[in-house]
Amino acid sequence: MKKTIYILICFFVCWTSACRKMDIPPINIIQDKDVLNNAGGVQAYMARLYSQLPIEDFRYSPQRGLNFFWIISPFPAGTGEALSRDQRGAMQENVDESPWAESYSLIRDANYFMENLSKYSGNFTEAQVNSWLGEARFIRAATYFALVKRYGGVPLVDKVLEYPTPDPESLNVPRASEEAIYDFIATDLDFAYQNMDESNQVGRANKYVAAGFKSRAMLYAGSIAKYNNITLVDAAGNRVCGIPSAKAVTYFKAAYDAAVLLENKYSLYKNGWKAGDKAAQYQNFVDLFFDKGSNENVFVRQYHYPESVHGYDAYNVPRQLMGANGYSSEVNPTLDYVELFDGIPKNADGTIKTTTGGKYDLYTNTMDLFANAEPRLRATVILPGDQFKGQGIEIRRGIYTGSSAGGISPLLPAGSTANYPTNNIVQSSNASQTPYTLPDGSTMNPAGLSGIFTGDGTAAISGFSVRKWLVPDKPTSEVLENRSDQTWIEMRYAEVLLNRAEAAYELNDLGQNDKNYLQDAFTDINQIRERAGADLLASAANLNNIDIIRKERRKELGFENKIWWDMRRWRTVDKEQNSTLYRVLMPFYSANDKKYFFDARTDERNIRYTFDVRWYYEQIPNGEIQKSQKLIQNPGY
Amino acid sequence: MKKILYTIAVCAIALAGSSCSKLDDYDAPSETLTGSVIDAGTGKTLQTEIGGGGTRIKLLEISWSDNPTPFYISSMQDGTFNYTKLFPGKNKISAEGAFVPLVQTDASGATTVDKSQTFDIKGTTTVNFSVDPFLRIEWQGEPVLNADGTISATFKFTRGTDDPNFQQDITDVRLFVNSNKFIGNNNFDDRYSTQINYSGSDGNVQVGQLITITTKGGPLPASREYFLRVGARTNYGLKYYNYTDVKTVTVP
Repeated sequence: MKKTIYILICFFVCWTSACRKMDIPPINIIQDKDVLNNAGGVQAYMARLYSQLPIEDFRYSPQRGLNFFWIISPFPAGTGEALSRDQRGAMQENVDESPWAESYSLIRDANYFMENLSKYSGNFTEAQVNSWLGEARFIRAATYFALVKRYGGVPLVDKVLEYPTPDPESLNVPRASEEAIYDFIATDLDFAYQNMDESNQVGRANKYVAAGFKSRAMLYAGSIAKYNNITLVDAAGNRVCGIPSAKAVTYFKAAYDAAVLLENKYSLYKNGWKAGDKAAQYQNFVDLFFDKGSNENVFVRQYHYPESVHGYDAYNVPRQLMGANGYSSEVNPTLDYVELFDGIPKNADGTIKTTTGGKYDLYTNTMDLFANAEPRLRATVILPGDQFKGQGIEIRRGIYTGSSAGGISPLLPAGSTANYPTNNIVQSSNASQTPYTLPDGSTMNPAGLSGIFTGDGTAAISGFSVRKWLVPDKPTSEVLENRSDQTWIEMRYAEVLLNRAEAAYELNDLGQNDKNYLQDAFTDINQIRERAGADLLASAANLNNIDIIRKERRKELGFENKIWWDMRRWRTVDKEQNSTLYRVLMPFYSANDKKYFFDARTDERNIRYTFDVRWYYEQIPNGEIQKSQKLIQNPGY
Repeated sequence: MKKILYTIAVCAIALAGSSCSKLDDYDAPSETLTGSVIDAGTGKTLQTEIGGGGTRIKLLEISWSDNPTPFYISSMQDGTFNYTKLFPGKNKISAEGAFVPLVQTDASGATTVDKSQTFDIKGTTTVNFSVDPFLRIEWQGEPVLNADGTISATFKFTRGTDDPNFQQDITDVRLFVNSNKFIGNNNFDDRYSTQINYSGSDGNVQVGQLITITTKGGPLPASREYFLRVGARTNYGLKYYNYTDVKTVTVP
């Protein structure tokens, strides 16, 4: 009897519990139907895609890769824009921090979105669906562009790869040709342009952003078609490195046409600009990086303290404004970079003029040398003695105590890489200085508050400090790592204009005359120059060298993490960095004259930059090669 | 009861311990590949630099796959190579460097030239490659120590190939100076080494001409030996340098 009761109890326990339906979706995982069936979910999905978009912003350095907070070997210190105490020579992106794997994750997420959104399209209007599909295509294209500019042709995955699969060989995708990748990017961006709205949330793409990115990508493709010398063809005939030169015209045309689409939709920021007023032009160029309403911003990535932050100010403020973390002056613009600009006295060979008749020119203040400097230069670089955060930024290499009768001869022979002689020069090795008593009895520190110190590099080692992107009114108490949140402007209209000018010049150079391309390039360049307060080109005939456009690009887009890629696609960097010493400008105070003089010389650390020709195509991470027999390595690795 | 448990434990440990002694009995790699990359025009080994910018030997082990990941062996500075830790196997061997590529493909990916050699590597295998360098650089006399303490070297370079596809513009020629015998574009003293850059096709008229380069940076510090070498390159592909052999100059 007892047994029967037990059996019955067991039976009921089992039977009734089985009534509970167990086949329910996991309730702790957000599923497609929760995300893709409402606009808020789609927005959240997009937010993640954008946050992972591989762009080289405030959180990028070649040493540590994308999205990393510690930026002490800054990108501009690899291109000749700047010197940094922590960057000792040329380098390519650290292969261990390659964005390869993350890029393919992002491409998969974009593909997944495209394939699954249609299941929920009943909840949305057709226009909404198309716009989102376009946006996913934009993200996919931007990601492929990040890959192709590094590696050349990469595996082309345009759908969600299923794993596990009965056919594992289908996952083993070989590299497509470099040309095919660029064509794929163009197709995606064309789709995005045709299907997206005219405007979108800040930080997200719209149809014109897609066109702007197309102008960038196609310009790269055209440059490679025209200037590349490296070829790698796989066994199936895919040219994974290099593009046939016959395609140059096609790509430059595509770049030009895409850039024209942004005309009258965006404009150069000139809210505070006044003709002939250098102070206003300078302030305008500073403001353009901080005005949230700027009509020049095409595509931006926003930051917000405390959830999403970077440390640009902490790493790059001049030494005398250093914050509590003890970082400062990581980006020190080279003299080579400063000499690109107008409005400074120059020798016949374009170098800065600091001597007359073999004797140094003397100046009462260090800023006197730059009295007529182009406003854009002042807004990009902190010149010795210029104002920043209400202070004069004091940059001085040392005090010259020698006789000044008959003028001061150069401290070193021209071109010398030797150390400065120590007789007649008083200098400081670090920021704790011993004041020097001048002949009139007053005292002065040998070096300026922001350097230059001979012992540690925590100073303006080039004689300059960077100004671009530094928040002009950030209190020093907030100059900390992970405390900055200014917006990164990934693409602004000035770049689109420069893309257009370069494509137009190249088209003219390749004999295309269906439009007056040279005139177009001339107008574009002068628009940039006018806003910058630079000297204008007199006529289209003066635009007789591609270097004019390339230099304009360096000046306008310096410290915006674009120049490295430009130098690579022009295939000029191996000539430019061939055992190269970059130059610096050292201000000295002459005790007897009570005036300053400047010595232009090569980097005192004697750090030479040599670009390895192999770097035109980055090394594919060996871990990826091991995963796939079909993935072939780039030449020379 | 306890006894049984102990017995089981002892057995288990004995079993586990003995299974540990199983050896992975594949022999360590011990086959040797040796040989030279030889200039077809002069019969001498082709000078190169050590490291990533110099000649390297490419091995494709085809005994188990027709699409293997390549294995590379760096050449020594004098153009010879010697590698003693290879597994036995069938390899397709070629070389890459400052010479007309041994394997060439056309635009469709079809192989048009294939001078790679296939060997069953076992014991000591010797492989020599006869190549056409992009540039052949020859000393003209010995480098001389000038009265002002600098060193001048005279040399000439000629094209090592008649094929116009491999006669790109000459981009630069350099006199490398170093304080040890390992010397090349990646290892030299930049205080004294001189560089001549040519823009566009300007360098091409120098082919066959006598060129004299003098060290820069003033007199070389005395009482030591200097090692000198001339390197030059063309605008082809990865722009490898061709080199002369190394000369020694003693500054008394």
